[in-house]
Amino acid sequence: MKTKFSLILLLFFSLISWSQQIEVSGVVTSASDGMPLPGVSVIVEGTSRGAVTDFDGKYTISIQSGQKLNFSYIGFKAQSIAITNQTTVNIALEEDVESLNEVVVVGYGTQKKADLTGAVSTVKTEAISRTPAAQITQGFQGQVAGVQISSQGSPGETPQIRIRGTNSLSGSNNPLFVVDGNFFDNIDFLNPSEIESVSVLKDASSASIYGVRAANGVIVITTRGGSYNKKPEISFSSYVGVQRAQNILKMANAEQFTTFALESGSQAEIESVEQAIQRFGRSRVNPNIPNVNTDWYDEVLRDAPIENYDIQVTGGSDKISYSLGGNFFSQQGILDMKNSFNRSNLRARIDAKATDWLKVGGNVLYSNAVQYGDEGSAWQLTYFAVPILPVFDNNFTEADPLPYSDAREIGYRGSQNPFPLMDNADRRGERRRIVSNFYTDFEILPKKLNFKSSLSYTYRGTNERIVQLPYFVTDEYQRSIEQSSITLNNGVGENYIWDNILTYKNNFGEDHDLTLIAGTSFRDEYGRNFGASGNFSPESSFVRNNDKTWYIQNTSPDSRTAYDGGFRNYGFSYFGRAEYQLMDKYLLNLSFRAEGTNKYDETYVYLPAFGLGWEISKESFMGNVDFVNYLKLRASWGRVANDAVGASNPLSANSITTVFNDTFYNGIEFETVEDNISWEFTDELNIGLSAYLFDNRLSLEADYFVKDTDNLVINVLQFIGTGSSRQNVGGVRNKGIELAATWRGQFSDDFSYSISGNFSTLDNEITSLAGQPVLETGTAEARQRIIVGQPINVFYGWEIDGVYQNEAEILADPAAQAAIAQGTDISPGYFRYKDRNGDGILDAEDRTYLGSPIPTFYYGGNIGLNYKDFDLNIAFYGQGGNVIFNSNRQEVIRTQGRNIDADLAINRWRGEGSTNSYPSSEGYRQVWNQRLSEFFLQDGDFFRIQNIQLGYTLKQEKLPEIRLTLTADRPFLWTKSFNGFNPEVGFDGRDTQTYPTPSVYSLGVQVKF
Amino acid sequence: MKQIFNFRLILFTLSVFLFTCSEKLDEEPENQTLVNEIDYSSEELAFGTLIGAYQNFQSVGWEQIPLLSVRGDDVNAGGQGDQQGFADTDNYIYDNNYWMYNVFFENWAEDIVQVTAQISALERFRDGGVDSDLIDQYIAECKVLRGFMTLQLSRLFGDVYKINTLDFTQIEVATKDDLMEWISDQMDEATPFLLDVAPNQRQDLPGGITKYTALTVKAIANLEIEDYQSVADATGEIINSGKFQLFNDYYELFKIPGKLANENIWEIQYSDFGQASGENVSHLYAFYGPQNWTAAVEEATSGWGFYEPSLKYIKFMLDRNETVRLETSVLFTNDGIDEILTDPDYQNLPAFVSNTTRDGDIINNYSRANFASGKHYLPSNQLTPGRTAYGTNKNYTVLRYAEVLLMYAEALTRGANGTAGTASEAVNIVRARAGMPALANVTSQDVMDEKFAELGMEWGVRFYDMVRLGNFDELSYDGRTFSSDKVFLPYPLEQLDLSFILSEYANNNN
Repeated sequence: MKTKFSLILLLFFSLISWSQQIEVSGVVTSASDGMPLPGVSVIVEGTSRGAVTDFDGKYTISIQSGQKLNFSYIGFKAQSIAITNQTTVNIALEEDVESLNEVVVVGYGTQKKADLTGAVSTVKTEAISRTPAAQITQGFQGQVAGVQISSQGSPGETPQIRIRGTNSLSGSNNPLFVVDGNFFDNIDFLNPSEIESVSVLKDASSASIYGVRAANGVIVITTRGGSYNKKPEISFSSYVGVQRAQNILKMANAEQFTTFALESGSQAEIESVEQAIQRFGRSRVNPNIPNVNTDWYDEVLRDAPIENYDIQVTGGSDKISYSLGGNFFSQQGILDMKNSFNRSNLRARIDAKATDWLKVGGNVLYSNAVQYGDEGSAWQLTYFAVPILPVFDNNFTEADPLPYSDAREIGYRGSQNPFPLMDNADRRGERRRIVSNFYTDFEILPKKLNFKSSLSYTYRGTNERIVQLPYFVTDEYQRSIEQSSITLNNGVGENYIWDNILTYKNNFGEDHDLTLIAGTSFRDEYGRNFGASGNFSPESSFVRNNDKTWYIQNTSPDSRTAYDGGFRNYGFSYFGRAEYQLMDKYLLNLSFRAEGTNKYDETYVYLPAFGLGWEISKESFMGNVDFVNYLKLRASWGRVANDAVGASNPLSANSITTVFNDTFYNGIEFETVEDNISWEFTDELNIGLSAYLFDNRLSLEADYFVKDTDNLVINVLQFIGTGSSRQNVGGVRNKGIELAATWRGQFSDDFSYSISGNFSTLDNEITSLAGQPVLETGTAEARQRIIVGQPINVFYGWEIDGVYQNEAEILADPAAQAAIAQGTDISPGYFRYKDRNGDGILDAEDRTYLGSPIPTFYYGGNIGLNYKDFDLNIAFYGQGGNVIFNSNRQEVIRTQGRNIDADLAINRWRGEGSTNSYPSSEGYRQVWNQRLSEFFLQDGDFFRIQNIQLGYTLKQEKLPEIRLTLTADRPFLWTKSFNGFNPEVGFDGRDTQTYPTPSVYSLGVQVKF
Repeated sequence: MKQIFNFRLILFTLSVFLFTCSEKLDEEPENQTLVNEIDYSSEELAFGTLIGAYQNFQSVGWEQIPLLSVRGDDVNAGGQGDQQGFADTDNYIYDNNYWMYNVFFENWAEDIVQVTAQISALERFRDGGVDSDLIDQYIAECKVLRGFMTLQLSRLFGDVYKINTLDFTQIEVATKDDLMEWISDQMDEATPFLLDVAPNQRQDLPGGITKYTALTVKAIANLEIEDYQSVADATGEIINSGKFQLFNDYYELFKIPGKLANENIWEIQYSDFGQASGENVSHLYAFYGPQNWTAAVEEATSGWGFYEPSLKYIKFMLDRNETVRLETSVLFTNDGIDEILTDPDYQNLPAFVSNTTRDGDIINNYSRANFASGKHYLPSNQLTPGRTAYGTNKNYTVLRYAEVLLMYAEALTRGANGTAGTASEAVNIVRARAGMPALANVTSQDVMDEKFAELGMEWGVRFYDMVRLGNFDELSYDGRTFSSDKVFLPYPLEQLDLSFILSEYANNNN
């Protein structure tokens, strides 16, 4: 410890004392045309000191003799010059689409970006680290074309990700994450600082080498390593911030609510207002309303802190490179209860050149996180709680711990108040992860043939404890000790992946470059879980306020239950890839994987892929086209298989119990239908174009893809009951266009900018249901459908043709008259539905498709500005083309005595001519107006400023580099018409009150020694 | 050279390992019970299969029996301001999109399929060597379950699926009359194999189906198609068996003391196992309960107020000078009593017409209704200490001997020949228990009135009687109008969407 500390001290002194400085200046030009190059970065090697060339290609920099200057610029080969005593160094950089020489991590290896034929994107690590969030995927949003993220607000929860749409109805649609060779479907354990690179393998030809887990795309993440021959770098970074809910949904206030209730025609509701006045008094402002005006959202929400501290040390000698780090992240939830997420990570990575033919290395990451989950039901209660109910009601003098109000006291069916649930829940989840990878790399034939064997190991420990604590308000409104419970869920998992890869690289003559990869992969996935629950016993030593007593032994023995479960999956695969470049302009990639698992009867599955590329810009006929620096056409095809589809349930019998004579009887129920499931295959064609234009200032990627899943597992319905047999007989197609462009430029010497944007479309369509006319999804009240020619889960209901304004309109409408003849009451203020088939009767035949829950386009972008030591980055994201089902509004079907949103309360029909799109208060409560119609479906389009970051970097000779940042994350959101809280409702399009994504305002500092 | 050697070593270890790896692919998945692993020679599992069939019926949802019965003139929806579709149904306004219709149709048809699957599984146990007589008995019990569920489904929706096979291509929609004939035949097939005891005397399965359950279901099916002689025969056989008596205390019959009473031919059984906490299998009686009460046992929670005895029923009972049956059937609020008193003909109400029950629970006024159902009420002092939910531990009566006696009497007054005494004798047994004087020479109308008084609020008996007799005037009360087109609920939209067979049938028969 002492030596380490002295080392740091020494380093620090060396920086300030040794100052044999030379001022070096010069001009950087392009070797091909001799023109000056602005924006070239000039950096003193091994330090972070640097300069940028001005518009005339000039630069000036201080350097010590003996150090090296590195010159780099996108599209040009980097150069390094050792400085002895020169004071002028002019450099001509050779053009070489440098960023295309950038090496991209692909399946089981790396490839030069220029040699890619599929659709592979990288996510910039800066974009991730700009986002103050627990989950790095939150920072992916809007960064990559074709990748859609639905973010999560609750601390510790994981955003949902889709790459190029929805391929499977019954299986998972989540991409595979490969972190240092380990497979994950969730990377909630990673901190942004731990990441070196992120590659998104979007199309099947790129992903299929990962086999049956890769059907939904693969995101390959490499954690940070050190570098050989590099001085140690210590970097410390931190941010602290506050999270605040945005776009809080406006609910009706007491006055609006009372007016709405009085107009409802419901005696019960009118009486409830009366009872509220009696219990809580009259408002002095308006004596007709109760003297209570609770804004429940205001009550349940809070500003919550978020903070992150991180330290990383990297470096290396000529034989060993290392990287070590640790960090602590902490976040409170914006829901005002015990709701938080803390995570501590430790990490180490060492790579060593043991001999000239053997390299070994390993890395270990340990992550320990504690989440206190939110009480999910609180959001719905908050929406529904009437504003004429206070949070506390002091009439309850016996209450313990707090006198929560009870809506039943004023005549409502439920108690409504979310606080008893929030205050008396303790939902703790502990997650521990060990992620490691060890490898040996033999060079069998120098530079030509090598063999790498790597073992990846993951440990997952989860420890969940959900406690429902007792409270007492009245005898009828309490959770007694006997009703209070503890539920434990413990899980342990271990995965091993052992990969053996042989790589052969050679050139044959000038024109032929060949790389061959052959490998095997063995996968062993193991999991065990155990859970128990019980209700606390008043005779035990259980104490409400002492979590040391929250144990199963303090529950009453007869209330205890336990379960266990487990799985063990094995997979074994052979794979190979051939990469061939002819004359550096004709590219061919072939890959193949044969994968076996013990999951389905059909043990092995074979997944081929190929890709072709043509670097048009290298053809002689392109020689005169000056503005094109680089142009490549790509086409690829691949097949992937999805193993996340549940295995066929063999016709089985389930255990049941029932009661006879006060005794449990055990029985079995036989399944009535049988599954027949095998692999789902998805074939994907991708055609793309990559280009660098206008002196490499504009980079462009365009892709068109068509994905067909032709043996989609669908439910083959039994026409009686809800049973169905799952079979591979359906089909779905996803197709789309993706565009990504970046423009870099400069206003003046010290003022540069970059603008990048991406735009994606997605067209999802069911292509086959094996002759079934339709599969019903959603609920009976809010029908969604799976039907050929429509996107998955399209909403299906009635169109609205306005609102009946008066009796005359009702009399004149045959559909209304037909309904009235059937006994339905229709009054002015009720919806007039479109009688689509014109038969004068409004019925099921008049339904139509009302919109898809899947956004049809989404886009994102960044604007970056650099002025002297300041930089500003603005990122945005938007999506649209989808509809969102406002299920809270329709909940009136089940529960009438509850609050409504202010939009409805204000805009309700209240007499002839008042509105043609909202029902009257009375009508809102009638079945006629509650059927799924356009009224309950709203445009899902939204645009959001994702992130604004202002940075200031202080680079001084004698001080460590210091960077200060101010960040506003997700500060502004515009929605087209959605009247909910959060337009990111997940991919099913149903707004059932999800935890809102907060805005975060933070202050950050980063120090590098 | 050294490198080459290393490489060979690697290849060798690799090939050994690859071989062992491939073997792992043949491992079975963990933690599953496969059908072909079930021991079909096990008598215990065969019994478990029977229990599985019962469980389908015993897990009936809270909304389902109310939907069967709400249209009667004995009961109203009480759903003011909530569950509009339920209230509309009570008023004979039907919406095929209303969720309760769909849930009922879907669940009951599915349960019938499930019971059929249990029957076919039982045949496998027979092939596996389990005592064939036992299998016959179990299958017969399943047939009674299936018959009863089909009967209720058909009462509600008219022509529905006849399900007696798992081969769905063979399933058709049958007319209600066909179904009743089929149920009657099924009961005839089952009867010889069933135990000849009262259900509460069954040792292996207390309260399970016996011969007399089958005969009762047969009688109801025949009542529906007005085959009164078959009704008289089936009910006569039950009466003549001498195995049933009416429970002495009508009030307690529907409460804890009435669990597995000798009067009960069928109950859905629930239990909290006498424990203050932990396992509890219960029905959601809160739906029927008063929305506001001051319970004798303070912690006991009230109900939702969705099931309200009609004023018509109450006045009918008062007119007859009924005592215990009215007290048992109706919980009165003060608002409700005031409403009765607004009628000058009802100024002298008996003492039991009070908002305090004999067990000391005070029924407070609440907005949704004036009265609550007494037969679905469990006094708070009968709750197991520690339990608070309304009606916990109470069984749900399905069929009882009083109904058998009255069906017998009705069949005789409609011309059938009886072997178990006269209609008057049967009616007077029921009346005597209710503290009502004996009648002589009962007429059909007397029997119908007696059924109204005795079976009010129970399973829609009253409604289906009036429908069968075409007595729509009785059903047209309190501003409602009943007509022949209102007899059946429309097929749920969901089910029409799901089933070609049903939608085609609906199109052809409209």
